[in-house]
Amino acid sequence: MRIVRSGALTLAAVLALSACGGGEGDDGSGGEGSGSGSGDAVSEGAEIRLWLNGGDTSDELRTWLVETFEEQNPGSTLVIEEQDWNGLVPRLQTALTSESQTPDVVEIGNTQAAAFTYAGAFADVTDLYEEVGGEDLLQGFVEAGSVDGTVYALPYYSGARAVFYRKDLLEAAGLEVPTTLDEFTETAIALQEANPSGTPAFSGFWFPGQDWYNGTAWIYTYGGELAVQDGDQWTGALSSPESQEALAEVQRLFTEATSAPRDADSNEPWVPFNNGEAAMFSAPTWARWSIDLPECNKGVDPEDTSDEATALRAEQQACNEERTGIFPLPGPTAGEVATVFAGGSNIAIPAKSQNQELAAELIRLIFSEEYQTMLAEGGLIPGNSTYTSAMGDDAYSQAAIAAALDAKLTPPAEKWADVEGARILEDFFQKVASGADLVTTAAETDRLIADTLS
Amino acid sequence: MSALPAGRAATPAPPPFSPAPATGRRRRRPALGAHLLLVPATVGILVGLGYPLARQLVLSFQEYGLAQQFGRPAEWVGLDNYTTLLSDPYVWAVIGRSIAFCLVNALLTMAIGMALAVLMARVGRAARMTLQVSMLLAWGTPVLATMTVWQWLFDSQYGVVNWLLAEPLGMEGMRYHSWLIEPLSFYAVATVVVVWMSVPFVVFTVYAGLLQVPAETMEAAQLDGANAWQRFRLVTVPMVKPVLFVVLLLQVIWDLRVFTQIYVLQRAGAPTRETHLLGTYIYSLAKEFSMAGAMATIMLVLTLALTAFYIRRMLRQEEDL
Amino acid sequence: MSRPTSTVEVARGRDASAGDPPRRAVVRPDGTGGRRRGGAGAVAVRWLLGALAVVVALLWVFPIYWMVVSAFLPTNRLRTPDPTFFPVDGTLSNVRRVLADPTFYTAFRTSLAVTAIVLVVAILFAFLAALAVSRFRFRGRRSFVVTVLVVQMIPAEGLFISQYQMLDGWGLVNRVAGLSIVYVAAVLPFTIWMLRGFVQGVPVELEEAGTVDGLSRTGAFFRITFPLLAPGLVASGVYGFLQAWNEYTLALVVMTDPARRTLPLWLQGLVEANRATDWGVVMAGATLIAVPVICFFLVVQHRMTAGLVAGAVKG
Repeated sequence: MRIVRSGALTLAAVLALSACGGGEGDDGSGGEGSGSGSGDAVSEGAEIRLWLNGGDTSDELRTWLVETFEEQNPGSTLVIEEQDWNGLVPRLQTALTSESQTPDVVEIGNTQAAAFTYAGAFADVTDLYEEVGGEDLLQGFVEAGSVDGTVYALPYYSGARAVFYRKDLLEAAGLEVPTTLDEFTETAIALQEANPSGTPAFSGFWFPGQDWYNGTAWIYTYGGELAVQDGDQWTGALSSPESQEALAEVQRLFTEATSAPRDADSNEPWVPFNNGEAAMFSAPTWARWSIDLPECNKGVDPEDTSDEATALRAEQQACNEERTGIFPLPGPTAGEVATVFAGGSNIAIPAKSQNQELAAELIRLIFSEEYQTMLAEGGLIPGNSTYTSAMGDDAYSQAAIAAALDAKLTPPAEKWADVEGARILEDFFQKVASGADLVTTAAETDRLIADTLS
Repeated sequence: MSALPAGRAATPAPPPFSPAPATGRRRRRPALGAHLLLVPATVGILVGLGYPLARQLVLSFQEYGLAQQFGRPAEWVGLDNYTTLLSDPYVWAVIGRSIAFCLVNALLTMAIGMALAVLMARVGRAARMTLQVSMLLAWGTPVLATMTVWQWLFDSQYGVVNWLLAEPLGMEGMRYHSWLIEPLSFYAVATVVVVWMSVPFVVFTVYAGLLQVPAETMEAAQLDGANAWQRFRLVTVPMVKPVLFVVLLLQVIWDLRVFTQIYVLQRAGAPTRETHLLGTYIYSLAKEFSMAGAMATIMLVLTLALTAFYIRRMLRQEEDL
Repeated sequence: MSRPTSTVEVARGRDASAGDPPRRAVVRPDGTGGRRRGGAGAVAVRWLLGALAVVVALLWVFPIYWMVVSAFLPTNRLRTPDPTFFPVDGTLSNVRRVLADPTFYTAFRTSLAVTAIVLVVAILFAFLAALAVSRFRFRGRRSFVVTVLVVQMIPAEGLFISQYQMLDGWGLVNRVAGLSIVYVAAVLPFTIWMLRGFVQGVPVELEEAGTVDGLSRTGAFFRITFPLLAPGLVASGVYGFLQAWNEYTLALVVMTDPARRTLPLWLQGLVEANRATDWGVVMAGATLIAVPVICFFLVVQHRMTAGLVAGAVKG
């Protein structure tokens, strides 16, 4: 607020500001010689930088990584720079091309990985792949980060979707937790008709029109695909008999089991759930922390760190979890789970990094038993599936593990990210939700997918 | 620290033109002084934009994507990018939509903006400040926040717009109305948002232009017996005309490539392919830089075509001065 | 609008004979515009227009009002079947959390530095150029004007790659100076055009009348034309300020170091700080980002009026 007090923007003030702005620039990244000018790949005494996105990697994990890395590589330092998912691609497009600015290890979304892998942005880590787990690593993610058998990006973590439900509403409608996918549809429709909470826009299953993540679960479970490779060519596969069968179910859910708007996407499904307007929704398992039913809310200030507040928050969470249940989306027959859509991220070493050795050291650390276990304890499926058991045995972890073991990623096509960028599947499911003819819509979308992937 | 030289250049600004007494006819001075005045701006633009713009044009004749960025050699493809785009009927549909959207929005923005600027000039200080601050807030609040709010306002399930229509106004059918799912309705919402964000700029600029009209001129016109409307039409409008020209031109340019508002509203639940305008369409090509570059050139030609009439007229007028 | 120029010429001729520094017509302290007219009718009209202005202001500010309301509500009350119009039982917790966040202040300083540099450099450079093209006639003038215009017509979405490589070559990535350079270039063409319009709006005869009265050409310019340009400078300044203050796309690629974030990047970071966005906090952050904009405006607005008064008094 300096501008305001000084009244006018005098030149002196500006110079002072620019000087202080520039000065900051000098002491920070310039000082340690951020791995740039020094350029000695022989590793001793370099600073390496790791880009992690969003808040998925907890502070505890970060601290452990920095401390352990610096302990094991005396004289070197690790700097973790947090990036945002939104805008990550333009950042990678630019920073990864610069020898002086490139981070030494990056986290990248699994659907974004293919484009960069094919472009040659990452260093070959095939040797590391064998060393840090090989077959035990989540294979879908390995595939997303590989070209012709060479591995460029390793799996970091995965999360799968599971179904949250209101126990009290199911009970009020006299329904049980469904055990097959057909039963799930019937339960959702029955809930929708019963409307046990009596609100006007009630959804048995919250299924907004653009929610292609959940729509895809049906396609995968029925044995369909989003796109298939035929020689060198990728084409959309929504017209296949399996996909069509699945889409008919999806359309039935859209029309009979939900009041969710057609012009809404899969974001924040807990909002209608918390408002008592949806009995079930499907989301990544961390959504449990966003469930906040009014009857449980104690109105605690989130800043308040007193013992009393902490106790109240625990009570509130217990109350929410008592009224809320979770189950993996069931499969075609009882005892099976559906093949749901998995999301997560990969980790890679940029080809331009001047600290390849140290970066590889960091990767080894990330795949160490200790770190993988900590990831799992934080509720994520770790890149190495051996450590999945560390996720715990509560209902949430069980649902997450069950869902994740059969989960499937998007097709590993080089240009798949363009399909997502063009929002082709959002448009498609929205049309399905609007009651469009499945055969013609699917044919049209298949063509668009083929055009985009070729 | 490139700011320093810039700052130094700024120290007590040397008189912008030579101190020689102004005896010659106006605008006929030796050109050196004038050229010197242009140096800083020219350097500024060239340094920040010159190379990127030239490169964008060059790329549009190559095949250049992510892989080329990481070292794969770029291949010259001549006019391929252009023919690919221009032979796609979908691109023409997008161009048509964009022109229509641009004209509607630019004209609406100008009309509302000018009306409000005149209104601003005619009301008391308190009312004027209220209007100015509210305009400024609409213009100056981070777009991330305002776009989120607009999304919430038009939300089908929890939107205030639907709530207002249904509860106090009794239009029950609108309670869960989906605003974004039909392209026309989508563009109507987009127009509301775009006009909302653009009008403040027009108001401020035109209002500043109105402030420039010397009181003497007005009084003189009044002495000549001109009524308020005549004074406005014959004195005010011609004097603010250069400003109006510029503002209209800029509105056309900006509205033709409107991006953020459309992008966010699409993500709020609209059918994407049916609602693309040029800005969002270019963005969806973003990983093929050469394609995006070609599209940018096409848009430049389009903008020039749309504004050629005005530009020519303006330049001719300038020569007359 | 048959022959607008001739009307101006008539008006200008009359002005030239006055030789005084001009006063502005439209806004008077009493706000009537032009000569004061008596009568209850005029007063009623003025009140009516004032009321209209306030209604428009309220309508326009509603989305911002909604943002501020949201800043005072816990996130679970933001999207409910019955909206909250007045946060009477709201919470200050969101605002407190933003104010307790040290990264907010870092981003604030960075944004302030970038904005100040851009504002001063762009306005100065543009002003000089606008002066040249509207007060002088020389070879290349037209091509300069047209080039500056055309530059603005080229979509800039694809430029960031080249701009990044350029700054990287100069070692200016993650530097305030680097971001300022690309911002200045982005703001300059527009500002030149705007200021050119404003300089043209001041009849050159006014200045000449001043020189007849014995002022040097430079003196006439600063005594007569410059005060009349103040509103235009303020309008362009507000534009430059907002561009630099709110720009996101270029800052995104240039400032990758979290310690070098500008405010819009910081706000995006707030959206992603938790896996489920705490929108109340984001809205509180956005509200705090908007405050300096208003402060800046109030300051320059005041300066603008002060300049006006000074000009009138000196005359």
